[in-house]
Amino acid sequence: MTVSAEIRTPSTGPDRPADSAPRPSPRASANASVWGLVWTLVRTDFKARYHGTPSGFLWALLKPTAMFVVLVAVFSLIFRGEPNYKLNLIIGLFLWNFFAEATTVGMGSLAAKGFLVTKARFPRWILVVTSIANALITLVVFGAVVTVYLIATGRGPSPLAVLAFGFYIACLATIAIGLSLGSSVLFLRFRDLNQIWDMTTQAGFFLAPIVYPLGVIPERYHFYLYLWPPTPAIEFSRAAMVAGVLPTSTAHAYLALMAGGILSVGIMVFRRYAPRAAEYV
Amino acid sequence: MPAALIEVDAVSKSFEIPSVRRETLREHLFGVLEPRKFERLQVLDRISFELKAGETLGIMGRNGCGKSTLLKILCGIYTPDAGAVRVHTGITPILELGVGWNPELDAIDNVFLIGTVMGLPLREVESRLEDILAFAEVERFARLKLKHYSSGMASRLAYAVAFHAVREVLVLDEIFAVGDEGFKAKCENRYRQLRADGHSILLVSHAPPVMAAFCDRVIVIEGGRIIADTDPASGVSCYISTTARTPAAQRESTA
Repeated sequence: MTVSAEIRTPSTGPDRPADSAPRPSPRASANASVWGLVWTLVRTDFKARYHGTPSGFLWALLKPTAMFVVLVAVFSLIFRGEPNYKLNLIIGLFLWNFFAEATTVGMGSLAAKGFLVTKARFPRWILVVTSIANALITLVVFGAVVTVYLIATGRGPSPLAVLAFGFYIACLATIAIGLSLGSSVLFLRFRDLNQIWDMTTQAGFFLAPIVYPLGVIPERYHFYLYLWPPTPAIEFSRAAMVAGVLPTSTAHAYLALMAGGILSVGIMVFRRYAPRAAEYV
Repeated sequence: MPAALIEVDAVSKSFEIPSVRRETLREHLFGVLEPRKFERLQVLDRISFELKAGETLGIMGRNGCGKSTLLKILCGIYTPDAGAVRVHTGITPILELGVGWNPELDAIDNVFLIGTVMGLPLREVESRLEDILAFAEVERFARLKLKHYSSGMASRLAYAVAFHAVREVLVLDEIFAVGDEGFKAKCENRYRQLRADGHSILLVSHAPPVMAAFCDRVIVIEGGRIIADTDPASGVSCYISTTARTPAAQRESTA
């Protein structure tokens, strides 16, 4: 709840507590409570998902790993000549898994936390943004494991490459947050949106160069593949971490602009519909 | 220092009730050629009042008169169509008691979740945790998931949070509605203590004794408007006269 909050009519108004408090102390305490809420949501989501045990977290790593084993068994025969096929495959799989899980959970985040939305006035976006935390934790742990593995096998990436990998993960997370912000409020009105997204991600898995190397696709189609957000994130990560070649600054700018653009649209849709979210939960 | 903690200024709220509810894209798509009729339901019609510091204000009205919608607007959960609500202080809203737990989490985590959603910093939730569990008499089950709780235990926990996570203003929807006599007495004691400490309280209830015993002032809402803003005794009798005017009773009187 807020101090000196004025609740007015606009249906397009920003859905956040008015931070027009004249005195500094209430604002500081409002910030403290926002961080308390963020931390509590991340902590309890993690706990509910993995039954509160660290070993439960292993399941999160096991799912893409099992997929990796199956795909390697099938596709490493076909792409036998590809250098580093397995390494590229597992990097692609974990990035894809993050994207698919984060956007799916993010879309349902407001609906799933409806019992909180109808309880109090607090910034609704916190529910959406924290919902991707579980998927992000899995990806970051994987990223650390891959880096350690590469160093241990004598192919350690340069510090700059690791930094770039972190940047691609941040961009993909921004994209997932942008999509989730927009879809979470629309899902409250259109309850079959998750089915549509389910189909999209199913097709999208093959649209992104995960099981096949991008090189097998004729060059003139690459542009279209790069429009699908996971493609640049996956390709750039492989280039930096496995091939040891940093993409051009134009490529980086493209990914950053895509992330910024999707986040902006997501925020616009969210600000338009979130103020009435409680009526649709 | 404003005398009023909450100012409600000509607040109106209506809901559009479609003849057919469409909740999926598929229904919208296949329904393109069949336009729907919308019925406008005016739930609140230019409601104005103030809550003063240290005051306990009761709100009464028949089911469906707009009480809960009004509370949701006050707490910032719904946005009004017209008018403004000026809140000059922190509010602890306790709405729809008993629902709103995450069944997969234990009592402690649920208290943290609800507490932080209501705007309490972590430290404050931590420091009040023991009192809350003790008040709810669920200390032994603190690490039990809420899905294994009885409904009585779950609602006792909700009351406990309500009475311990208090900011300046407490908004209570149908408090004192359930619980055994012993627990009710405990709630009433805690309630008197809060009042003595100078908290302002907005109380919604259907029970005339509750209103008469606890409120300084009572507002009666009927048909989305305030029809009485008066002392508890007159408010209660006004409320009782509105309940007598149910559609069934009206039909009887005209027959």
